[in-house]
Amino acid sequence: MNIAIYTVSALLIPFLLIGFVQKMKAQFQNRIGAPLLQPVFNIFKLFGKNQIISEDASGLFRAGILINFCCFAFLIWSVPWLNFSPAITNVDIFFFVYLLATARFFSILSALDTGSPFGAFAGSREATISFLVEPAVILCLLALSILAGSSNMERIFSFVSQTQFHNPIVWIFSGIGLFIVALIDLSRMPIDDPTTHLELTMVHEAMTIEASGRNLALSEISYAFKLAITFGLACQCLLHGIYFWLPNNQWIIFALSIVGMFALGLLLAVLETVLVKLKWTKCPDFIAYALTMGLFACIAALGVRA
Amino acid sequence: MILQVIILASAIMAILMAGTGQIRSNIMFYSFQTLCLALAACFCASIEHQYKHYIIALAIFLVKTIGLSVFLFWLTKRIGAVKDPGLYLPLPIAMHLSVVLLVFAQILSSHLPHLNQLQFLAIGGTAGISLILTGILFMLTRRLAISQVLGFLTMENGIFLFALTQSSGMPLFIEMGIFLDVFVAVMIAGLIIFRIKHSFEHIDVTLLTSLRD
Repeated sequence: MNIAIYTVSALLIPFLLIGFVQKMKAQFQNRIGAPLLQPVFNIFKLFGKNQIISEDASGLFRAGILINFCCFAFLIWSVPWLNFSPAITNVDIFFFVYLLATARFFSILSALDTGSPFGAFAGSREATISFLVEPAVILCLLALSILAGSSNMERIFSFVSQTQFHNPIVWIFSGIGLFIVALIDLSRMPIDDPTTHLELTMVHEAMTIEASGRNLALSEISYAFKLAITFGLACQCLLHGIYFWLPNNQWIIFALSIVGMFALGLLLAVLETVLVKLKWTKCPDFIAYALTMGLFACIAALGVRA
Repeated sequence: MILQVIILASAIMAILMAGTGQIRSNIMFYSFQTLCLALAACFCASIEHQYKHYIIALAIFLVKTIGLSVFLFWLTKRIGAVKDPGLYLPLPIAMHLSVVLLVFAQILSSHLPHLNQLQFLAIGGTAGISLILTGILFMLTRRLAISQVLGFLTMENGIFLFALTQSSGMPLFIEMGIFLDVFVAVMIAGLIIFRIKHSFEHIDVTLLTSLRD
């Protein structure tokens, strides 16, 4: 039963979330917008299309995209981005962080492999962003593991009632930190504009610019999974922050997790409507805020444990 | 619990203020920081049954949160200062350094004798010292004269928060006198910044060390 519900949500929510963000952005701009399931239709359309691969590309191009997809397909089954236990347990926080890094490494390699100039500079930007943002992810998760006394994600994110375990300050700082990290990692608005295809502003879009057909569909799916994982973790952190007001029922918390993820999606749509893209040299200043949130969370967690 | 969160929030706002060079965001963060201070004074008043704190909270809200912020917004618009390029340290590093200073403030305040009987107000000492240190760091790492004013105001907030939580607050007349002093000081600083801008065509304090006539 649990596994069935988990499978359905893992297959449906990531795409619904992307569709929801696009729909809300369209609404804020006074457009009707595409239907909610448009990302799913897009993927079916892409699977039906022929693929064109650059003549200069080696096998690494396809392998990189496949490995990237496999990493995220594994992560969505193993990371507790919904409140109840997923199929594969015992995932360590460092394993999670380094699997993310592996996926990123292979997507950068496949972007570099075709030898197109756009892929190369997008890969370089992605590498810069990722090494700036990695300390923030590690600090946010480390604060939670200090609190839980374990680096097992299943243990950290489980809803057990221990008063010391549910220190709201730590959880909320980590949640805000992970949300900022999600914005940066998914190359959303303050760092990169996902809607413009102006080559100087692209990070994620330029990395997949050489992919078409099935390859593009796989990268779109992994992007959707990444969105669900990062938003889900941020939402779980914020839910743990208000744990004392939550009813002690698994299914209510499950519903709240989904509602929370869509609320974060709405926040993302609002942010993308009101914010402008930062100048590239100003991005480290923004990323520094995620690191500060992680530092606050760590200090608070150490203070609670002491 | 809520009082502790509000007190910590004012210190956190000051730290976040140290991370951006945009003068408008700096003033916004300063405004939120003083709003937290006013709320903290209200809570202290209701806990300690000292009605003078309500008057002080109202005065903070009117003078600092609204009055000074609006004045500084007007001033930045008038002299056309948009962002501070920073001095000595990159601004993100300054922000992380002020997080370290928050830990230092916690260590320092845990060694101080508690003047107040209420144990849960001990965090006010941490936040107060942290505000003072962040204000000093803010003044050291900024180039523009208007940022120096903001750093000074942050330090003043720290002293107020320390006095509010560690003792039972200063007498009402002294507090009111301090408010008047701060208000007049900022007004005069504004006038002087305006004059500096008028005669030197910039407000960079590092370039003011060499005299000319």
